[in-house]
Amino acid sequence: MAVQTAPIAVSLPEEVRPNLWQRLTRNYVFRRVIKALATIFVVVTVTFFLIRLMPSNPVEIFIQEQISLYGMSYQEARDQASALFAIDLDAPLGQQYLEYLGNLLQGDLGQSYRSKGTQVVDIIRQFLPWTLFSVGTSLLISFVLGIGLGMLMAYRRETPIDYALSTFASLVSSVPNYLIAIILLVVLGPQLKIINIASMRGSISPGVQPGFTLHFFLDVLYHAAMPIFVYVLTTIGGWMLAMKSSTIATLEEDYVTVARARGLKDGRIMTSYVGRNASLPLFTQLAISIGFVFGGSVLIEGIFVYQGIGQQLIKAINQRDYPVMQGIFLIITVSVIVANLVADLLYSRLDPRIRLGQGETK
Amino acid sequence: MSDLALLVEDLWVEYPARRGVVKAVRGVTFEVHRGETLALIGESGSGKTTLGLALVRLLPKAARIKRGRIMYYRNGTSQDILALNAEELRRFRWQECAMVFQGAQNALNPVLRIEAQFLDTARAHGLSDANAVRERAVELLKMVQLDPQRVLHSFPHELSGGMRQRVLIALGLLLQPQVIILDEPTTALDILTQRSIIEVLRRLRAQLDFSLIFISHDLSLAAELADRVATVYAGAIVEIGSVYDIFERPRHPYTLALTRSVPTVTGDMHPLASIPGSPPDLIAPPLGCAFHPRCPLATDQCKREEPPLERVGKEQMAACWHWREVNP
Repeated sequence: MAVQTAPIAVSLPEEVRPNLWQRLTRNYVFRRVIKALATIFVVVTVTFFLIRLMPSNPVEIFIQEQISLYGMSYQEARDQASALFAIDLDAPLGQQYLEYLGNLLQGDLGQSYRSKGTQVVDIIRQFLPWTLFSVGTSLLISFVLGIGLGMLMAYRRETPIDYALSTFASLVSSVPNYLIAIILLVVLGPQLKIINIASMRGSISPGVQPGFTLHFFLDVLYHAAMPIFVYVLTTIGGWMLAMKSSTIATLEEDYVTVARARGLKDGRIMTSYVGRNASLPLFTQLAISIGFVFGGSVLIEGIFVYQGIGQQLIKAINQRDYPVMQGIFLIITVSVIVANLVADLLYSRLDPRIRLGQGETK
Repeated sequence: MSDLALLVEDLWVEYPARRGVVKAVRGVTFEVHRGETLALIGESGSGKTTLGLALVRLLPKAARIKRGRIMYYRNGTSQDILALNAEELRRFRWQECAMVFQGAQNALNPVLRIEAQFLDTARAHGLSDANAVRERAVELLKMVQLDPQRVLHSFPHELSGGMRQRVLIALGLLLQPQVIILDEPTTALDILTQRSIIEVLRRLRAQLDFSLIFISHDLSLAAELADRVATVYAGAIVEIGSVYDIFERPRHPYTLALTRSVPTVTGDMHPLASIPGSPPDLIAPPLGCAFHPRCPLATDQCKREEPPLERVGKEQMAACWHWREVNP
């Protein structure tokens, strides 16, 4: 039986140098940035429609306020409102949305409905730094302290120190932060009179000039102390428990035993071998937690009357001040996304096994 | 006795477990001479690795050294390993006695470059001259047939399993220890890589002066590298002797069975025979001789009395009541 053997055409893939577009789309950072922009667009769209679905509207709220504050009749209040508000809330939503997007693309976040002539950008510029400062500082303190205490718990596993710290960690991480804030406020303030809550209000004392002076710095810390304390207290438990379990797992790794066999000093093993490897997964969580702390700041700033972006958001929500709400939601979204991006890029620096931006296609 | 490097006397190691106490090492006695290679062979679960870990006192926390003595000799001085304090023990490890572990895949810190791991090992033992250490590392990596420049600047995950095993061997030699313990140095490697590791070890044995204890279940490896071989069964040494005696004239039925269970390349063709039964339970080892349930020569005496390790040849010892009937 004759077998026909036909030559099989084999086309060798040509060595193609990736063009600019291919190199770009394979680039990790580029892809991440595109994804981030897409996320921002989606969030902007969803918030735009969601806040307009809230019951009532800015004019109605203003009218109700006038009536209850000054005893105006409905008609008087309405006339006042139409004089003040040069906005047309009855315009089709789609048209409003496109207008908003167009302005946004030009960097225009619009003006506040309620404080005439106040740019939303100015509100953010004025109040965001305080929130960034208090939230950032507490996140740093809580992360570093949590890692340290978590390692201590793992090294002293099954000892009274471990039991005490584990109980503390589970307790503080299960109580909502606003509850802790109110309890602290009431107990340390009026009850024990340890802190003077009246003078701690705001983000700086009246009359203190901003500048690089010790006085200014201490005053800022004084006002931020309570919010920072509460943020740290409510987030540290999670870090401690995560670090504890991660450390326990790392202690079982072969390379730690081998490091001991190599006669390395305990301090070196603890930092470069156990600590460094055990803390890796926590860096991913760090990025996620930034979003949570921003969300939490809304309530905490309200409770301690801290002049941050969270308090402005509450005010804007109560007044249905759409542009301000949109602006603040946008800035929170951007912060969380940027933090995530930075954390991811940082992670690749910390863990050599993760290689980014090397043109790998996966 | 002046060429003694390590002396282990009547060593007992136990682990508490839920079902009872695991007697992982039961009264082990042996010695290692300077420049000698001793192979500890036995099935998995026979206590070989525990024995190795006990020598550098790296046993898990739960384990207890119940009895025994480990003496280490160098330059006319002796050290009682079980009496060392934490700092003395730290210095002893790697500088005097380096243990290269089974499963080298995960034995190096994933976030540090190989160079950093050579340097921190040296620094921990008081060698602060980074350039000298680097030079020595380059030399050793060449000896284990690696490209030093590439390897030193790599992270562990960038190296293959065989390369990592060789890096570890080179790292083990960094401080010129007198004794090196290799635990299953070729397990988990493919056959060609195993071959090259054996070649590397042979070359190192010829070039450098150190004693080697290697722990393996691989008899061919023992035959190739060892001067003396000890067979471990149920946590005890059941036979010890020169590599020639052990392979040509084993006096313990277990050693005989082990040699029968691997094919030979050169020697006479004998039918391969696996050892019936399974390794003994170390929580409740059989009464009498631990091997008796699997032994073709077992008699009533074997079920009642544990045989002592007795001299059966010029330099050969075996623990069997019937050693005269094995290879008569």
